[in-house]
Amino acid sequence: MKHHAIPRIVTKLIIPLILLFGLYVQFHGEYSAGGGFQAGVIFAAGFILYAVIFSLDVAKSILNINMTKSLMALGLLLYITVGFVGILSGGNFLDYNLLSNTKTNGQMLGIFLVELGVGLTVSNVMILIFYAFNDIGKS
Amino acid sequence: MSEINILIILMISIAMVISIFRFITAKEIFTRILSVNLIGTKIVLLILLVGTVSIEKDFTDIAMVYALINFISTIVVLKYYEDKEVSK
Repeated sequence: MKHHAIPRIVTKLIIPLILLFGLYVQFHGEYSAGGGFQAGVIFAAGFILYAVIFSLDVAKSILNINMTKSLMALGLLLYITVGFVGILSGGNFLDYNLLSNTKTNGQMLGIFLVELGVGLTVSNVMILIFYAFNDIGKS
Repeated sequence: MSEINILIILMISIAMVISIFRFITAKEIFTRILSVNLIGTKIVLLILLVGTVSIEKDFTDIAMVYALINFISTIVVLKYYEDKEVSK
């Protein structure tokens, strides 16, 4: 899409705002609409827009498939780790109350970490689905 | 909901019906994509209007997400019809 100036420049202007909005939905998810899943999808939408406008090869040089898979697994690992920390400190699976010195701090920290894991996993799964759809016609 | 809000919602709905009519009678694919984009923009306006009269304060976020999806989907569909491939 080299010869289309307007989509290129508008995309360059709008991608930081999309990523910022994704982070807002991620970290403000307890108080308003949103959470990890929606933030991951918005974040991935920004990256997919980048990949559509500035060819797929440039996008893959930024975030290749192995990196995407690793980050996807890392998000799930974060979620499971937070769950098992609850068991290891003598509570239930995903018991947020035991994560910090007071119950309120524990809940805040637990929700933050779990939503971070969900957001990381979902955004990378969406990017991976986009890559997979592009490879359908080629093999 | 006050009178003026109902009036605005009615006018936007009429504009949406005109866009749907344009979608049906269009000859070219690009006119259809443009009319779908128009309908999406009007849906964003409707979401914002409902947000001004509702107790819930989250409608602005949803309208922004809808505008974002509208923009990206239009660009992707246009690129598909120009290149016959989404990413090159």
